[in-house]
Amino acid sequence: MSPLEAVSARLPEPARDIRLNLQSVLGGSTLSPVSRLTVAIACAWASGSKPLARALEAEAQASLPEPEAAATIDDARAAAALMSMNNVFYRFRHFVGKEGYRERPARLRMGRIARPLTDKATFELACLAVSAIHGCEDCVKSHELTVLGHGKTEDDVMDTIRLAAVIHAAAVGLLMTEE
Amino acid sequence: MLTIGDKLPAFNLDAVLADKSFGKVTDQDAPGRWKVLFFWPMDFTFICPTEIAAFGRRNGDFQDREAELLGASTDTHFVHLAWRKQHPDLNNLPFPMLADTKRELSTALGILHKQDGVALRATFIVDPDGVIRWVSVNDLSVGRSVDEVLRVLDALQTDELCPCNWQPGQETIQVPR
Repeated sequence: MSPLEAVSARLPEPARDIRLNLQSVLGGSTLSPVSRLTVAIACAWASGSKPLARALEAEAQASLPEPEAAATIDDARAAAALMSMNNVFYRFRHFVGKEGYRERPARLRMGRIARPLTDKATFELACLAVSAIHGCEDCVKSHELTVLGHGKTEDDVMDTIRLAAVIHAAAVGLLMTEE
Repeated sequence: MLTIGDKLPAFNLDAVLADKSFGKVTDQDAPGRWKVLFFWPMDFTFICPTEIAAFGRRNGDFQDREAELLGASTDTHFVHLAWRKQHPDLNNLPFPMLADTKRELSTALGILHKQDGVALRATFIVDPDGVIRWVSVNDLSVGRSVDEVLRVLDALQTDELCPCNWQPGQETIQVPR
């Protein structure tokens, strides 16, 4: 049994739908394996589930050749960490909507966003997914536009959001099984 | 003196590397990374080892910012090595000491002291495209603050690169490298 199958099997009975959804969203999809796993790993970290994130990273290492596997894991972690910062910061700006906050510089480092190791579109999908989990309307809208501008389709976006939803739910389900 | 927006002149200099071996350091080394190039007037003088050692202690902070430290003076690489061996604070220096013996680089940069002919305490921050983004020059007797160099490097590298910064009405997102 792979680490991912083992984690999936731990999801409790009330979350059985999530267990089945997890298999299907990680199985077939219009997304490439690299994009699918980058999004999934980023969502697992963004949802705060170490066991799920580790299992998905093991899945990337087992199923992708190098250097794609390492790039996938690195980009996923970067997207989860940086978007956790940016979603809080920009969501505040969007919520309040005052010119004064928009004009003040962010003074936050985010250089990694401009240097994806997989590809720009994959990294942006992961950013979109994490923004959806964190519930930032303007971040979701702007990343959705960027993703489409980099050659992804609305089907790709839908698969990405489906992944975000299921991974987030699986993280919650796994909490119920912890000691 | 060269200033903001100027291209860092090409160079290919003898140097004492971090491991105390001799080697060449060029402007083409470490592509894609920032450079912090700093000069001191003369080896074996008093202020110099203090600030060189201070840069050395913060090498990890520069590495975290994807920047390579390069120290230089107009002394030869043999003098650099002798100084590295002689001074305990310089023994484990983690970056190369460049020997601008022919004064070509310091002349091109315009940082030679007009009377003494040695390099001023000049510091250049150079971006990954080889463009000078910050210059600071102290008189021979004035030491530098490494914290200030890091502060400036941070500020230069801090851009709002995320499409989250998108505002309604903006059509495209500019993503500089």
